[in-house]
Amino acid sequence: MKLSRIYSLILKDIKTELRDKYAIGAIILYVITSTFIVYKSFQTVTVMAWNVLFWIIFLFAALSALVKSFAQESKSQYLYYYQVAHPGEIIIAKIIYNVLMLLIVSLILYFVLVVFTINPVVDLNLFFLSIFLGAIGVSTCFTFVASILSTQNNQSTMMAILSLPLIIPILLLLIKLSGNALGILQDTSYNSDLLLLVGIDSILFGVAVIIFPVVWRS
Amino acid sequence: MLILLYALVFGMLVPLKPGIEGLSKSVLKTGMTNSFQVNTYNTIYSGDENQEAYLKIDSVHFLKATQVEVLSNRQSTITFDLPSLPGTDSLKYATLLITDQENGTIVYPEGIVIKETGTDSNSSWSTLENGPTLYKKTGFLFPYRNLLVESIRNTFYHIPLWFAMFILFFAAMILNIKYLVKKKLDDDHKASSLIYAGILMGILGLITGSLWAKDTWGAYWTSDVKLNMSAISMMIYLAYWILRSSIEDIDKKARLSSTYSIFAFFTIVPLIFVIPRITDSLHPGNGGNPALGGEDMDHTMRMVFYPAIIGFTLLGVWIAQIILRLKRVREKWFLKMMD
Repeated sequence: MKLSRIYSLILKDIKTELRDKYAIGAIILYVITSTFIVYKSFQTVTVMAWNVLFWIIFLFAALSALVKSFAQESKSQYLYYYQVAHPGEIIIAKIIYNVLMLLIVSLILYFVLVVFTINPVVDLNLFFLSIFLGAIGVSTCFTFVASILSTQNNQSTMMAILSLPLIIPILLLLIKLSGNALGILQDTSYNSDLLLLVGIDSILFGVAVIIFPVVWRS
Repeated sequence: MLILLYALVFGMLVPLKPGIEGLSKSVLKTGMTNSFQVNTYNTIYSGDENQEAYLKIDSVHFLKATQVEVLSNRQSTITFDLPSLPGTDSLKYATLLITDQENGTIVYPEGIVIKETGTDSNSSWSTLENGPTLYKKTGFLFPYRNLLVESIRNTFYHIPLWFAMFILFFAAMILNIKYLVKKKLDDDHKASSLIYAGILMGILGLITGSLWAKDTWGAYWTSDVKLNMSAISMMIYLAYWILRSSIEDIDKKARLSSTYSIFAFFTIVPLIFVIPRITDSLHPGNGGNPALGGEDMDHTMRMVFYPAIIGFTLLGVWIAQIILRLKRVREKWFLKMMD
């Protein structure tokens, strides 16, 4: 495993993404459209609803963005990667790339939601920390499931069925944490939630890296 | 099967220890004679026992009742002549104890409030040095707990079902790892049969828990953490079942579902063991409710509870074996068809 190879794999992913801009553009447009629907249908958004809406839109944006993380390149390209890189490097690169993408998407989502509705965030550091941890967890889980499904036909349905239940514990912790950041929950012991989230993230990351080579061989 | 039968029979038939269901009056005032009716549970009064009743307000002070009058097997009237409270408290929680040779000692913990009125009476608090003799009921009986009452028996069915589910899933995960290492298709058959049996156990666990909750909490489903977390883990494993049935190719099915099952197992560990520990729950054992530890789970219950765990696990393994044999037969038949 080499850091430089992971780095170049991430760069490769970013370049492919930038080459055909429609994918990232579609996600951003999805975020803006759903925020606009929320804005028009809710009239006034309460802080509680803001918190939930943020994570729901984030979750579905991530779902549609990450379904194709293994589907956008051709089979021969994968054969090439298989020969030049260790499978662990490939999954780590994919996960890091997806984390970056989710961070950008969530920043855009935050910006758009603030413009259209309200800005309820009290503790900005905690809020971004929870976004960061959430991006890692969601990206690990979805990337892994996408890799399982990479050779399947009915990807998007199966992706939703397989990954949404897996993500619920992370999502519940995230909603609680960001509830603290928005000031609607006065929970002084959110440190244990943070630790738990870090724990779940690292366990999932470890398991994904360890068993990905098996999936990769197909 | 025998162990299971043992757990079922004993879990259902062994009677509960006597206990106190409720009182007609729960606030007593000092400086006057207080009498109230007590509804007891599983008690038998033939009339010639010498019941004695005591009020205990802390580890030192207690008071003997002036009169205990038995109305029926399950009802009696108790009269206390309450003196002024020791110390300066204006309110005090008291524990009621009723004791006799036949039924042993029954306790109503901290169920009575004593209100200080400022007036004293002729009687006085005794101290523990000349404490009351408390009788013990002998025989094989389960403890009596307020709120739980007879539903304490659900300990032998509901909880072992979850234990069994988790053991089955754990075994399946080990077999999945073995499959990925050795690539023997039979391991995957074993693992998936275990998971199907585990899903069955989990669904039964949800049903027994739900019925119990209707009785104890008043609703089939509440927003309690443990309920929701177990529902999520059921969803995860049902997704495993859907994933398996969506793939045609046998090898691919085995490989992908094994990886998913390993991943899924590691996500349900925090669901079942960590998150419920750090959040409050309505379940016995959380938020001050009685539970597995201490007085609430005594030796009589353990004698049924542990065999029940083993029994349900073995039942799960047995179901898994049936599914496994079915799978093997199907595979043979499939191979024959190919020839």
